[in-house]
Amino acid sequence: MNHSRLSLLLALVALTGAAQAADSVPLQIELPKPLFAGTPRPISLPNLEKPRTGKRPDLMVPAGTVNLSKGKTVTSSDSLPVIGELTFINDGDKSGTDGTYVELGPTPQWIQIDLGAPAKVAAVAIWHFHSQARVYHDVVVQVSNDATFKTGVTTIFNNDDDDSSKLGKGKDQAYIENYEGKLLDGKGATGRYVRLSSNGNTSDELNHYCEVEVHGSLVK
Amino acid sequence: MFAPALRRWIPLVLLVALALGLRTYELDRRPLHADEANQAIKTGELLEHGRYAFDPRDHHGPTLYYAALPLAWLRGETTLATLSATTVRLVPALAGTCGVLLLFFLARPLGFGPAFLAAALLAVAPASVYYSRYFIQETLLVSFTLAAALAAQRWWQNARPAWALAAGAALGLMQATKASAPVFVLCALAAALLVARCRPATTHLGRDLTLILGTALGVAALFYSSFGTHAAGLRDAVATYTFTSARATGDSGHEKPWWYYAALFGWEKNGGLVFQQLAFSALALTGALLAFVTRQKFLRVAAVYTLLVFFTLSFPPYKTPWHTVHLVPGLAVLAAGTLALIRWRTLAVVATTSLIFLQLTQTHLGAFLRAADARNPYAYVHSSPDVLKIRTLANAALAARPGGAIRIISEEYWPIPWYLRTLPAGSVGYWATPPADCDGALILASTAQASAVRERLHGDYRETFLGLRPGFLCVVFTPAPPAP
Repeated sequence: MNHSRLSLLLALVALTGAAQAADSVPLQIELPKPLFAGTPRPISLPNLEKPRTGKRPDLMVPAGTVNLSKGKTVTSSDSLPVIGELTFINDGDKSGTDGTYVELGPTPQWIQIDLGAPAKVAAVAIWHFHSQARVYHDVVVQVSNDATFKTGVTTIFNNDDDDSSKLGKGKDQAYIENYEGKLLDGKGATGRYVRLSSNGNTSDELNHYCEVEVHGSLVK
Repeated sequence: MFAPALRRWIPLVLLVALALGLRTYELDRRPLHADEANQAIKTGELLEHGRYAFDPRDHHGPTLYYAALPLAWLRGETTLATLSATTVRLVPALAGTCGVLLLFFLARPLGFGPAFLAAALLAVAPASVYYSRYFIQETLLVSFTLAAALAAQRWWQNARPAWALAAGAALGLMQATKASAPVFVLCALAAALLVARCRPATTHLGRDLTLILGTALGVAALFYSSFGTHAAGLRDAVATYTFTSARATGDSGHEKPWWYYAALFGWEKNGGLVFQQLAFSALALTGALLAFVTRQKFLRVAAVYTLLVFFTLSFPPYKTPWHTVHLVPGLAVLAAGTLALIRWRTLAVVATTSLIFLQLTQTHLGAFLRAADARNPYAYVHSSPDVLKIRTLANAALAARPGGAIRIISEEYWPIPWYLRTLPAGSVGYWATPPADCDGALILASTAQASAVRERLHGDYRETFLGLRPGFLCVVFTPAPPAP
């Protein structure tokens, strides 16, 4: 008897479940439409990220590491920068005020620093235009002994997640520019040339550099 | 080789062609400003559903939307999804081109040469070209103002009722374009009455004035009532002045110093880019002074009108750069008047050519090369080129997750609704604050909302950035692909 009741109960549960499954439909959720708004207000403050509380975590580098890039020859995919000169990139001025940054044209552009001799790169510090909250797209940093970057290329940073700049898909995170610059671990990559690429930014299609520092030591 | 009449008019035809070319070249290149997108969406709704109701709070007059309809039909666009940026921007482009021709005919009392020069200076003026490529009401208002002035001038001279009718129609179109129209009408009337000091040719002044006023009111009422389908629009056409005056005197976020408009015609270096109109301004200022030395009445009317408009626009704290277009026709006439007084032909030719060249280089910089650049004084709170990527991102997200939701969670999100207008109905939602459910095929959140959105997401999401406009960043969340 109990066995029969249990069977009946199970059958009823199964039937109920089957009935519910037969009645199930995709959940339709109505999404709200956009609300019309007036002319956006201009942002009067630079909207910079809050300064980090405390010091930026130290990047440990081998003793004897020096700034190898200061005053070295800089070339670019854009031979006629829109504003500024390529020498601004390694002149030591990171302020980002007018007259301290170089502006390269739209679409992917690169700058390349010739260290003069092969070096072990411990760190690369980059300051794009940082007087406003913006993110530079497809930032790729590479090291090579080949000036044309066709062979022997080591990529130390790549946040081009869709390979739109055709330098390979990167997994590094995009970041908001600020006065501290972006400090990258060179991981001892070896090469004479350091190339930095970008593909516009969240404010316009142009590419900017205030300063680039390549820290390391020459290969003996 | 050409008949004298043709030799006279061919340069004008070429000038109009130049004006048209500057105003229509690659109209879809610059991303839409938030205001343009707002109005383009409203136009799309009118196009697709035949519905329009004047909004007195945040939108200007209806002519802009209705003017886009015949262009959309001609280009085979019948829905919001098919409506293009080029189509909507053709409205101010064509209006601006007509404005060049209208100014030529209006300035004829100066002589063919100065009138042509004035039209040429308007044709190449940086602000006029820039905002002739901008889907807002300002260029239409300028052109309707010029049309009203021309028709009124002709009526004053020859008393024909047809010109009175035309003046009334133009005044009505002005009012149906923007609530600030009476400002320009009053400035023009004041300038004419202060300087002209002569009676109109008509012997039926009362009849003609009634015709002008009646036509103006009729035309304005036609548009504000959405061609008789929305009677409340007539009430709202009056109510809009409550909001307009509050905006002009209150805390709108667009407060600027009194010299703001003057500075736009001066010299400015911003982030390495130089925007200047010193030569044009100097010639216009000289023309204003000469207007009261010479016996040229039209020049004096232009000087007084431009001065009155300048003070009227400069007095309220609320200022936006597109208002400068109202100053350009008067300044162009004054500058042309100065050039026309140069007796030495070689110097006149060199001065004119140099001025046109300088203006064209500034127009090239402002309207084409750096049209959306934050350093461009005309690109006011302008959308970043980044917004052009949103449609591709959304399409890719929906392809990866069919039926998924696109969520835009931001205190500001225009012009994004324009760029996502082609997505399937019901697939995109817009929130000012994070809803309980933030998951979706793609979520775009302002950086201010991103942390709250992140806490409400389930599963792994990749994050990247997209700029809405300079200084306003959004975080783009897309579900991470499953691990191989």
